[in-house]
Amino acid sequence: MKKYVRADGLVWVILGIGLCIGSIKLKLGDFRTPGPGFMPFLSGASLGIFGLILIFSTTFARLGEGEEAKNEKASVIWNWKKLINPFLTLLILFVYLLLLEPLGFISTTFICLLFLFKLSEPKKWLMPFILSVSTSIVSYFLFSVWLQCQFPRGLIKFW
Amino acid sequence: MSGFFENLLLGYHVAFSAANLLYCFVGVFIGTLIGVLPGIGPVGTISMLLPVTFGINPTSAIIMLAGIYYGAQYGGSTTSILVNIPGEVTSVVTCLDGYQMARQGRAGPALGIAAFGSFIAGTIGTIIVMFVAQPLSGVGIKFGPPEYFSLIILALTLLSYLAHGSMVKAIIMAILGVGLSQIGIDVVTGRVRFTFGIIDLEDGLGLAPVFMGLFGVGEVLANLEESLNIEVFKAKIKGLLPNLRDWMESIGAIIRGTFLGFFLGVLPGGGAIIATFVSYALEKKLSKHPEKFGTGVIEGVAGPESANNAASSGAFIPLFILGLPSNAITALLLGALIIHGVHPGPFLINKHPEIFWGTIMSMYIGNVMLLILNLPLIGLWVKVLKVPYKILFPILLLLCIIGAYSISNSKFDVFIMFFFGIIGYLFKKFDYEPAPLVMAFVLGPILENSMRQSLLISGGSMLIFLTKPISVSCLIIALFVLLSPILLPKSRRIRAKIS
Repeated sequence: MKKYVRADGLVWVILGIGLCIGSIKLKLGDFRTPGPGFMPFLSGASLGIFGLILIFSTTFARLGEGEEAKNEKASVIWNWKKLINPFLTLLILFVYLLLLEPLGFISTTFICLLFLFKLSEPKKWLMPFILSVSTSIVSYFLFSVWLQCQFPRGLIKFW
Repeated sequence: MSGFFENLLLGYHVAFSAANLLYCFVGVFIGTLIGVLPGIGPVGTISMLLPVTFGINPTSAIIMLAGIYYGAQYGGSTTSILVNIPGEVTSVVTCLDGYQMARQGRAGPALGIAAFGSFIAGTIGTIIVMFVAQPLSGVGIKFGPPEYFSLIILALTLLSYLAHGSMVKAIIMAILGVGLSQIGIDVVTGRVRFTFGIIDLEDGLGLAPVFMGLFGVGEVLANLEESLNIEVFKAKIKGLLPNLRDWMESIGAIIRGTFLGFFLGVLPGGGAIIATFVSYALEKKLSKHPEKFGTGVIEGVAGPESANNAASSGAFIPLFILGLPSNAITALLLGALIIHGVHPGPFLINKHPEIFWGTIMSMYIGNVMLLILNLPLIGLWVKVLKVPYKILFPILLLLCIIGAYSISNSKFDVFIMFFFGIIGYLFKKFDYEPAPLVMAFVLGPILENSMRQSLLISGGSMLIFLTKPISVSCLIIALFVLLSPILLPKSRRIRAKIS
């Protein structure tokens, strides 16, 4: 766990430095008339300082034997098998974003829901198909027809 | 006093209009639903529904969103009692005795006392808000820019102290929230900040896509790692009305939980969670049989369940009086009001009496609706518990996408939501609590403006924050809270318990 906390502490330090540099470019002003970069500079500096505190507090924290073992166990953050579903879901969501305008709301929603439902039923097609068709139709009538939300029509213009 | 009754009458008219009754019902229904369903909380739901409220008037929007907030406190207890999984963090303590009661065949009285306790606490809490809000708005007027600045610092420090896990990480989240709020055009100088040439970012990051990403998409992605085959309590639920003995044992706990919860709910920093723990500890301390706590004692359900509902009423005091949220959910309500062009603060009650009094009156009605929803209809919620997550998660994601897209019919908002979904997922993996980020993101612009105004007033002297009594008191308390885990070992233990 320690090395992960140190690594994300480093991310905050780098982000803090980046914010400070960006703020200086924006002009800090002075205490009498703070400029647009004044507050972001304070945020960046604080972020960097607390990032350093995170790194040092982890590096120099004294742990008992039991705690050390517990921490080592907790360090298994990345169980690659467990990451498959979140990764595939994200992939489907980004495909949804790409297809939304060319294909339209109802077609894209159907395709993406089909694959999302299939994530949990990899061997079956019928149930994911029924669920995705019904969810797409209900969401279309609820949001587009009833609540008048404007969605891209895409290929199927008559919807 | 006549003005008070006039306002009450106004609130009555607003809350009892057909449209607002419907919005109130929708709010408390959704609140109970998401309270029952593990894996989605009121923060995520309010974020998802924010865009839906854009088309309705601010009073109706707040009535519905507030209904989700206090409705979730009712629903959260159902899963705690029946499945031993808290639907909400504020129902964690209810698991201890509620689930044991269910195992002993007393699920009915446990659910009943949770609903009645919540109803009594919610109603008393609403009455207190009604009586103290107007006099307190006079105190709110005394708050100038330095006081606002220091109070926000105190609120963010307290929230970081009470957050789950490492306090340093929680503070980092708060600072990041302030940083994110500064993206876009600076309102004072007109300079564009940190947009990297992206025109869509010039208006700043939208509240709804950011929160939907962090709490909606992020939560779903994190849940997808786990198997969510929850074993539902299978026995029939009978005898929902607690008997006389149950009432005798619980009534003291309900009253104490109500006042304790209300007081802690007013304090900045997520009072409802700590209120449930303090209420449980208090009941255990006052009990003649403390050793039985954890084995199915009804006071262990009645006290914390009353405390979390009273705390959700108390949280409306700082929101309506000072325009300062006390937790992530009220931060979202503040965001919703700002989006509708309403700026809460000491003048809200006079400028927009329909919003304040309408919401207060709707809370009475909402509590009655919740009692009906949670007692005679308990069977419905038990059925809802059986909906598998594999069916639920695609629908949640679809709701997030529709919500984000419909804000401005732009794919950019959906992209921002996905981006913050990944960030929210990573926060979960690395044990970062996003609640301080939410609050800081909403309060960031107020913090920056009050600091600028304070420095302008003082001619550039930072001493202005130390010469105003309210301001210096807030800063001293914030410093004490910040240093307490280092200086006081007992404080470390309190934080560990909260975590």
